[in-house]
Amino acid sequence: MVDPLVRVAGLTKQYYGQAVLDGVSFDIAPGEIFGYIGPNGAGKTTTLKILSGLITKFDGDVTVGGASVRADRGKTHAMIGFLPQSAGFQAWRTVESALDALAELSGVAADVRARRIGELLERFELAAARKKKVKELSGGMTQKLGMIQALLHEPKLLVLDEPLEGLDPPSRNLVKDILRERQRAGATVLFSSHILSDVQDIADRIGVLSGGKLAISGSIRELMPAFGLPTEIEVALAKAPEVLPFEGLGTAHPRKPNEWRLVVADDADVDAIVHTIIERTLAGGGRIRAIGLAEPDLDDLFAQYIRKGSARA
Amino acid sequence: MRSSTRLLVRDEWIGFAKSKVMLVLWIVLPAIAIIGYLLLPTELLAGGGAERPPMSATAFMSFLMSSVAGTVAALMVAVDIISEKNRKVYELYIIRPIRPEAIIWAKFIAVFTSVAVGCIASIGLGIAVDAIRGHPVSSAMLYDAGRSLVAMTSVIALSTTVGVFFGVVAKSIVVAVILILYGGQNLSILPMLPIYLGILPNHFWLVMLISGTIALLLLLCSGILFRRAQY
Repeated sequence: MVDPLVRVAGLTKQYYGQAVLDGVSFDIAPGEIFGYIGPNGAGKTTTLKILSGLITKFDGDVTVGGASVRADRGKTHAMIGFLPQSAGFQAWRTVESALDALAELSGVAADVRARRIGELLERFELAAARKKKVKELSGGMTQKLGMIQALLHEPKLLVLDEPLEGLDPPSRNLVKDILRERQRAGATVLFSSHILSDVQDIADRIGVLSGGKLAISGSIRELMPAFGLPTEIEVALAKAPEVLPFEGLGTAHPRKPNEWRLVVADDADVDAIVHTIIERTLAGGGRIRAIGLAEPDLDDLFAQYIRKGSARA
Repeated sequence: MRSSTRLLVRDEWIGFAKSKVMLVLWIVLPAIAIIGYLLLPTELLAGGGAERPPMSATAFMSFLMSSVAGTVAALMVAVDIISEKNRKVYELYIIRPIRPEAIIWAKFIAVFTSVAVGCIASIGLGIAVDAIRGHPVSSAMLYDAGRSLVAMTSVIALSTTVGVFFGVVAKSIVVAVILILYGGQNLSILPMLPIYLGILPNHFWLVMLISGTIALLLLLCSGILFRRAQY
């Protein structure tokens, strides 16, 4: 089994006697994209700051590439590219000088810096702003600048706090593409986000943090049973039959005109139900446009989790 | 000096140059001071017998700089550190493979040298004005100017570390300014205390040594606090 790149074991952090993180443990394998989600105040940012060495007072063990983030700070910092929730730059700097200074402190050679800064500014469509003062940039442009500084030294591990926040849809897609590219190049990514559809798009695995504890982690498909999500069949009809074909098969919920989601029992034979629906629709003079098992999305999972959490509380 | 400190100092100097801090410290302030001197009534400058010798431009500039340079340095560095802390600038530095305290040392070196050069420029301008106005620059005057420059340098060093310290510990600029204006003044008396109390002899270089030692200790202490800070 491959050694994890990130190992978080029994991570506990208290502020004024109140636990923000309470025994959080998870591993991230090399080359994996791990989405970290949870309600506001769940402790996501605190976890990412501990990993990046911005918070050093905590209990538990956190290692990156086998090195402790507390004891081997220099070693772990060389491996990590970090995007804070709001990246701050010195007001007098231009875009180019801000990136150059940070890359130089990361130990990137002058010729490599010049090339990478040029490439990344082009990629993030900031090339025209390279001589602009940082204080003149919009929120979205500053966010992109924050992403670029995290990528400059081509780190093994990207730790990104809300990387898609404040970006327009094309920019969000661009960041997602870049993260996938970095993954293909061997990098590991840990990111938090409130935009669950984006997490679903790129994360191989997710971790759900709630009340300071890592409630659950795994791929979305793996998490389905744990979240207690029902099995659903999506049905779209080109022409509805005289009688709807769902009777006795489960509970049908209309989604749009001529579109339904049929919730079936967990142990139901889905293939047999699909077959029955097709037969009944055709027999009733209807026509089917599409039918299949509904893929759960992260919004569903998260909503279900929060519901279950509230019920437990 | 570690290379990261060197990089950060160079960066701070560039920052001061680009944000016109150096222009103000090295040119605008000395120019305003010398204009103030030239506008003073002649009878005030002429002095009054042996008890009150005439005031040269060099003496005026030395007096002015020794009274403001320390406060300027302390406020400048504290405001700079707190505003950058509040804008979360340091987060992007601390996550890089450098010693966090290097950020603070660089800030100290950049502010100290910038203010010290401003003082040298001011006294130099005073000497030049005296020479232009036909007052001979005697070796005694130069000795006094040199001595006051050394004293000023130690005051600037101590004040800058006081500014660094309050910049690191305070969260708001207003609090830091109040602490510097009240606490900083008291701290600047500290090097003279052993002499006032008769513990040590009154010797110029001894006071300089005590000032330098206190500045160094305060700077190290600020570095440790900055390193231990949680972001």
